[in-house]
Amino acid sequence: MSVQASVSSETAVKRSPKKKKNQLPIAIGLLIVVIVLAVIFSQISKGLAIAWIFGIGFGVVLQKSRFCFTAAFRDPVLTGGTSLSKAVLLTLAIALVGFGVIQYIAVQAGKGVPGGVNPAGWHVAIGALMFGIGAVISGGCASGTLMRVGEGFMMQWLSLFFFVIGSLWGARDFGWWNKLLISSSPKAHLPSVMGWSLAFALQLAVLGGLYLLADWWGKRKTR
Amino acid sequence: MAEYRLDCMGEACPVPLIKTQKKMADMKVGDVVVVEIDHSCAMKNVPEWARKEGHNVDIEETSEGEWEIYIEKTK
Repeated sequence: MSVQASVSSETAVKRSPKKKKNQLPIAIGLLIVVIVLAVIFSQISKGLAIAWIFGIGFGVVLQKSRFCFTAAFRDPVLTGGTSLSKAVLLTLAIALVGFGVIQYIAVQAGKGVPGGVNPAGWHVAIGALMFGIGAVISGGCASGTLMRVGEGFMMQWLSLFFFVIGSLWGARDFGWWNKLLISSSPKAHLPSVMGWSLAFALQLAVLGGLYLLADWWGKRKTR
Repeated sequence: MAEYRLDCMGEACPVPLIKTQKKMADMKVGDVVVVEIDHSCAMKNVPEWARKEGHNVDIEETSEGEWEIYIEKTK
């Protein structure tokens, strides 16, 4: 990158640097609290401690990587950037293989298919539209809102409050949606329908195709 | 060589980016815009877009949770 040019442009603009507080002691303190709580939780239940560690881990990754599901779908249109879209596709591919293994083992053992196999239909499109409108107004999707609540961005504390209210409202009306659209929509567990290897190959091929498309789109706009 | 300041404090996620894109379209080559933001998401997508367009970009955290993005229009 052209470091020289950016340096000269910097000097032209008046800067107002402020001394930043050293956050390291707080970080070490919080880390100790997290570990102590994890030990306490593990006494109560194993699942609780695992959920706690995974929750903290997700939060750290989300904050550090600025991973944003909304941006993955928005940036290709708005900026032409597809780095987040590709990241989401990779995430889906990894999750697909991981959940596939879990399901395969369970099914081979004669148990039912674990995880939520939910009907696909118009309710998904309606929900997605409502979610999109909400994300624009509140300034973030679900993960982004939670992450910024932790960063201390006050506006999103308000968002979180209404996020909870909205979720409760959705739960209250779920029966109505279920009767109207969800229960009548088709439901399919692909490996049960077309076999494990074909389902795996098909899903990975679709994700791979989308990845190549995203890669091409990202490079195309640079000119 | 003009300098512009773009106040995006309190603006939610894609708004600082759209404001920057509109401002950059009006600017001449060599002009600098300083985008002031306090939304961590914009700290990623504004520089990413500007670098992709080939402009010179620099970011500074001016105080906790507040950033200034310097963009020099190069073309």
